[in-house]
Amino acid sequence: MNKLGRAIHNIHAADAGRQGRAGAVHPLARLLVALWYAVAVVSFGRYDIAGLSGMLPYLLIFGIWDGISVKDMAGRIFPVLVLTGIAGAANPFLDREVYWRIGQNGVTGGMISMATLMLKGIFCAASSYLLMWEIGMEGICYSLRCLHVPKEFVTALLLIYRYLIVLLKEAERMMQAYKLRAPGQRGIHIKAWGAFVGQLLLRSIDRAETVYESMLLRGYHGEFAGKYFRWEKGISISYVLLWGMAIACFRAVPVFELTGNLLQRI
Amino acid sequence: MHMADALVTPVVAGTMYACSGAAMAYSIRKVRLENDARKIPVIGVMGAFVFAAQMINFSIPGTGSSGHLCGGMLLSAVLGPEAGFLAMIGVLLVQCLMFADGGLLALGCNIWNMAFYGCFIGAMVIWRQIMKRGISKRKIAAASVLGCMATLQLGAFSVTLETLASGVTELPFAAFAAVMQPIHLAIGLVEGLITAAVLCFIYEARPELLWGHTGWAGCGQKQGEEGKKGRFTYKGTVAALLAAAAVTGGLLSLAASSDPDGLEWSMERVAETSELEAEGRAYEMAGRVQETTAVLPDYAWKNSESAAGTAFSGIVGGAAVILLCVGCSFLFRFFRNRAAKNE
Amino acid sequence: MDKIKVENLCFAYPNGNQVLHNVSFRVTEGESVGLIGANGVGKSTLLKLLVGLADGYQGRVYVGGASVEKRNLAAVRKNAGYVFQDSDSQLFLSTVYEDVAFGPRNYGCCEEETERRTMEALRKVHLEDLRDRQIYRMSGGQKKLASLATVLSMEPEIMLLDEPSIALDPRNRRNLISVLNELSAAKVIASHDLDMIWDTCGRTILLFEGKIVRDGRTEDILRDRQLLEENGLELPLGLQRRGIDPD
Repeated sequence: MNKLGRAIHNIHAADAGRQGRAGAVHPLARLLVALWYAVAVVSFGRYDIAGLSGMLPYLLIFGIWDGISVKDMAGRIFPVLVLTGIAGAANPFLDREVYWRIGQNGVTGGMISMATLMLKGIFCAASSYLLMWEIGMEGICYSLRCLHVPKEFVTALLLIYRYLIVLLKEAERMMQAYKLRAPGQRGIHIKAWGAFVGQLLLRSIDRAETVYESMLLRGYHGEFAGKYFRWEKGISISYVLLWGMAIACFRAVPVFELTGNLLQRI
Repeated sequence: MHMADALVTPVVAGTMYACSGAAMAYSIRKVRLENDARKIPVIGVMGAFVFAAQMINFSIPGTGSSGHLCGGMLLSAVLGPEAGFLAMIGVLLVQCLMFADGGLLALGCNIWNMAFYGCFIGAMVIWRQIMKRGISKRKIAAASVLGCMATLQLGAFSVTLETLASGVTELPFAAFAAVMQPIHLAIGLVEGLITAAVLCFIYEARPELLWGHTGWAGCGQKQGEEGKKGRFTYKGTVAALLAAAAVTGGLLSLAASSDPDGLEWSMERVAETSELEAEGRAYEMAGRVQETTAVLPDYAWKNSESAAGTAFSGIVGGAAVILLCVGCSFLFRFFRNRAAKNE
Repeated sequence: MDKIKVENLCFAYPNGNQVLHNVSFRVTEGESVGLIGANGVGKSTLLKLLVGLADGYQGRVYVGGASVEKRNLAAVRKNAGYVFQDSDSQLFLSTVYEDVAFGPRNYGCCEEETERRTMEALRKVHLEDLRDRQIYRMSGGQKKLASLATVLSMEPEIMLLDEPSIALDPRNRRNLISVLNELSAAKVIASHDLDMIWDTCGRTILLFEGKIVRDGRTEDILRDRQLLEENGLELPLGLQRRGIDPD
C-alpha cells in the first residue's frame, strides 16, 4: 500500500468502533494522565533500564481494559522504534564500558542506553496510541477547549481532522489516475510537480470557501462546539489523582525490585 | 524530522513548548486582528491539504528516489505566516496523535523545528524580503528554494541541539551535526524545488491567492497604523524573532549542561577563538542551576555495583507485578463485560 | 403569502461576467419549484443570491418577508435552508449528530431543544440509527440525507437545494425524492435531473443564459421537447421511455 492508502487505513483503524468507549472520565483527565506518564517515562536516566521497565504495567492495564489489538498497536509504533534505534545506534560503539556480564558476554553502557532509548520510545508511543483510542481527536479538542486554548485554533483543528480523510482520498484518486496513465513511475514526474499539487490546492481553497459558506448559512459566528462529552466530576478527579500517584510511585520507587526482595524473603 | 518523545527530556520538552506556545499566542493574536471569519475554515482545510500533499511522492529525476513538499513554506505563501503557522501546528498535532509521527511531549520541539522556522523565517523574513517589489516566477522559485533550505538547516540544527541537550546519544556534537546538516541541505533543495513548482502554478492560475500579491502597501498601511500604537512593525517582528531564537538557544544550552560531552565541545571551540569568559561563567552557573533543579537524575546508575546484584530481584519482582496487573485487568474486563451484557 | 419574491434581479460577477438578467418570480408557501437549465445558466448563482452568499445584485429579493441585504442576513438564513451540491462541504463536523445540531445551537437553542430538533430532522430523513456515525464512514446517499437533515434541524420555511440527486444511485435517489415529497416547506430545487424535477415539483422555471425562458406547470414544460432542446436540455428519460412523446 502506498503512503496515502496507509494513512487512510490508519484513520479508519483508529476510529473503528470507538463509540461508547468514552466512559465517565473527562477527556482532559485522560490527557493529563497520559502526559504525566510520558514525563515520567522520559525522565528516567539513560542507563536506568530497570527502573524504566517498571512503567510497563500502566500500558498493560489500559491495553487490556480497552481490548487493544497488539498487532495494530505494534504496526503503529514500529516507525518510532526504528527512529529511536537510529538515534541511539551510535551509543554501543562510543560507550564500551562493561556494565553487566552475562556469561562471557559483557553488556556495555552503550547497549543499555540504546535499549533504554528504544524502550522509552515504545512506551510513549503506546501511551499516546491508548489515549487516542480512548478519547479520539474530538476528545483532544474538547480537552483543549477546557484548557482555554483559543477557540480559533480548536475550530481549525476540528476542521483539519474532518477534512483530512476527504483530501487524502482526493489525493489518492489523483495519484491513481496519474499512475494508470504513467506506469512504472515511482512518483510524480518533474513536469507535473506544480500542476498536480497546485490543482489539489486550488480545489482545497474552493472547498474551504464552500465550507465557510455552509457554516455561515447555519449561523456560524467565530466558533463551534464540537463533540460534547458526558463526564462525572468525582470519577474524573479521582482518576487523575489515583493514576497520578500510581505513576509517581512507580517512577520514584523501584517497585519491581522491592517486590522481588519481598518475594525472596518469603 | 519528527522527533519522538524518547529523544527529549522533560526540561527540553517544556522549554520548547514554552517557545512554541509563545509563537502560537502571537499568531492567534495576529489572526484575530485581521478579523476575518473566513480565515479559520481556510486554515482548517489547508492544514488537511498540506497533510495530504506531504504524502505524495515526487520523483527526483536521475536519482530514482522521491521527495516531498515543504508544508510550512507553502502554507505561509498562501495564508501568510501567522495563519500558516497555526495550520502547521494543527497538522503536527494530528500527525503526532493519529500517526505516531513525533510525540505529545516532543510536540513543542517539532512545532519549533518545522513550523516556526518554515513560517516565520522562511516566509516572514525570506519570502517577504524577496517579494518586496512585486512577485515574479523567478522570485517565487528563489524564495522557495532559499526558504526551504534555510528552514531545514535551522530545523535540523535544532533537532541536533535538542537531542544533545536531552543527552540520549553518545554522539559528539560535531559528528551529529555533520550527519544532520548535509542531508538536510539536499532535502531542502528538493523540497524547495517542489514547493516552487506548486507556487509557480498557483501564480499562473490564481495569483491573487499568494501572500503579498496585492502588494505590501495594504499590509504596510495597516502596519503603519499599528506601528503608531506601538505593535507589530516589521522591524519589531524581526527583532522579536531574533530575540526568541536567542532565548531558545540560551534555554537549550541551559538544559544541555546536563550533557557534558555535547555542547561542551562547541563551547570549548568557541572559547578558544574569542573572549567568552563571561559566557563560560554563565555556563558554569547555568550548570549549577541545572544541578539543583534537575528533573533527571544524571548518571546515578552507571557503575553502581549494587545494580548487578539487584538485577535478579528486579526480574523476579517485575514478573510478579506484571502477572498481577495482567490478571487483575482481565478479571476487571471480564466482570465489566458481563455487567454490560446483563444490562 | 409569498415565501420568495424576486423582482427584476440582475447580477454580474466582479470580473464583469453578467450571469442573471432581469429575473422575476415568486414562490408561495409550501410550493415546490424546479429550477432547470443547462450547465452555467446561473441556477446555482440564483440560489446563492437568495441566501445572501453573493453580494452586489440589482433588483429586489425578499426571502421569508425580509429583503436580502446585510442587516437581514441572520433572519433570511434562519428562514431559508440551503443544501450544497457537495455533501462533504456541507458536513464539516465529524459526526452526524454534531453536524445536524450545529445550526440549532448557533441560533441559540438550548441543549434539550437542540436534541429534539436534531432527532426530529434525523427521523425525517430516516437516519436516526446513524446519529453517532463518523461522516467519512458514510456512503454518498447517506451523506446527502444527512446534509438535508442539517438544514431541516433549523426548521426552515424555505428550502433551497442545489443538484440534490447528483451522484446518487437509483435507490438512494428514489429515497431522496420520497423524503423531499414529505417535507412541507417551500422548496426550490436546482437540477438538470429532469426526472427528479418531474417527481418532486409541481412548477418549473426554465433558465437560459441568465433569463427566465418559461415559468409554468412542470408537466407542460417537461413535455415540450422543442422548448427543452432549444435551451440545451432533453426530454426526461422517464417520458422518453414511456413514449409520452408529443411527436
